[in-house]
Amino acid sequence: MTRTSVTSSFVAWLCDPRAAVFTACRSMLPALRISALRGMLSLPLLLLGLFLAGCGGGSSDRPAGPPRVAVIISTLNNPWFVVLGDAAKEHATRLGYDAVVFDSQNDPATEAAHFDNVIASRFAAVLFNPTDADGSIANVRRAKQAGIPVFCMDREINATDAAVSQILSDNYSGAVAVGQYFIKRVGESGTYAELLGLVGDNNTWNRSKGFHSVVDRYPDLKMVAQQSADFDRAKALEVMEAILQANPNIDAVFCGNDAMAMGAYQALLAAGKDSQVKVFGFDGADDVVKLIAEGRIAATAMQFPKLMARTAAEMADRYLNGDHDLPQKIPVAVELVHQGNADQFGDYGRRDAD
Amino acid sequence: MWGRRRWITGTTVAAGTMVLLYFLPLFHVVPLEQARQRAAVAVYDPVEFVDWFWTEQLIPGAAEAIDAAELVATVQQDRQLARETHGRRVGLGGAYYFFVAGSGRIVSVDRYSVGLALCDDQQQIQVLLETGPIFGNAVRDGTGLLDVNDFANSQDFNALSAEINRRIEQQVLPDLRTGAAIGVTVRFVGCAEILDEGTDLSPLRIVPFLVEMP
Repeated sequence: MTRTSVTSSFVAWLCDPRAAVFTACRSMLPALRISALRGMLSLPLLLLGLFLAGCGGGSSDRPAGPPRVAVIISTLNNPWFVVLGDAAKEHATRLGYDAVVFDSQNDPATEAAHFDNVIASRFAAVLFNPTDADGSIANVRRAKQAGIPVFCMDREINATDAAVSQILSDNYSGAVAVGQYFIKRVGESGTYAELLGLVGDNNTWNRSKGFHSVVDRYPDLKMVAQQSADFDRAKALEVMEAILQANPNIDAVFCGNDAMAMGAYQALLAAGKDSQVKVFGFDGADDVVKLIAEGRIAATAMQFPKLMARTAAEMADRYLNGDHDLPQKIPVAVELVHQGNADQFGDYGRRDAD
Repeated sequence: MWGRRRWITGTTVAAGTMVLLYFLPLFHVVPLEQARQRAAVAVYDPVEFVDWFWTEQLIPGAAEAIDAAELVATVQQDRQLARETHGRRVGLGGAYYFFVAGSGRIVSVDRYSVGLALCDDQQQIQVLLETGPIFGNAVRDGTGLLDVNDFANSQDFNALSAEINRRIEQQVLPDLRTGAAIGVTVRFVGCAEILDEGTDLSPLRIVPFLVEMP
């Protein structure tokens, strides 16, 4: 069991001891069935759980206090998702809910454990950023069967009958816009590199495919390197250094997120090539928007995490107050940020937004 | 004795049948919506869908487009009014679309577009018809005929855009590029995607899906 899932189990136990023990026991039962040895080891834990349940002494009714909303985020190891999670928590709290943030650490098993806790602890709703478009469907269905509405944020699940609503960022279209601007700035011929995010993540490929749907139409524009840097700034710095050694004369680099764009820019700065190589990112992180305004990074795509989080919290509130006529999908446009309009963006959104 | 044997045999056969059916069930019960989705995923083909959409919805739907000259006049007077009256937003965000039709005289021809003046006494470019390559979601989202909620996921919806754009490039734009010459009159129906009001409104940049030239 990871540290986070232990922590979240403890949080769930604090919220509702009997429910949390029920979850723990439930997770032990398959082990009991599979192996007698495991069963023998699990038995003392089961008894301890039952003892703790007795000590909890809670009633089977909904816990007192404001209704609770779970904010389950795919990873909090990336500043963009931290903003998404914090904004969801802030808006849910503002609407009168007690919000708890869970970190799935990009691990579907951890995510499933969070859903176990959320269902057992009888949270009122889940604001959910999935780890996997297919793998997360079962978790959403389990919550739905338990009467807990789920609202997806940013990433979608490949089902339209599980979540109440999905507020989605259109990564593919955003990357198409970045690709078009790339052609405008770099031209129709030249060489470039691409830094990919996590290769198992849908958005890595939505962005890469969107970008290539444009640039691949120009045969004189050659991609000389394509490597993953796992959406990580430090790794992007290392990868970019290696790419520059093999390809010192490239014209541009497209990065699948802004953390990697910052890492790539650092490597270019150290190599004295920051004015030669144009850097393109994706996300709309504050530090990148500032560098775009200064003309040091070429462009990024703003994804509006705060808008998505606020919309999800508001829709959950509407649903819990009886409005069940909500759209299944709400696309959120991704907007191109370049030097000409960078002053209109900041704080993970448009400056003129509410 | 015989009765007991028969009972044991019968029980064994019944148990064996039950075990067999457990591992090889004759049918699965799934929720109706889930079954519909599986069927949709199994049959979804963007090329086939666009074939149907193009002939059954897009071309007949051209009658719903706003007159280009009227739209350009409204934009010049009041951008906000034009956006609120004729614009179409998809979901949340700043981008919006116009669904327009009209005719104009070609006043410029360049590598990626043809410039039109919509009035006889006008020499300035009021509308640009894109001549490719076509990117983005102008036609998919601009007409209001397609809804993201009718598709299993955004990748399917994006595949639709790519296919519509491909079809426009292959079936509509070659004639426009070939026949484009200063002074020629063009009738068009298409959509404009407004991402940045500072640059996309004047001239209005239109992706045409129907073009007629004399």
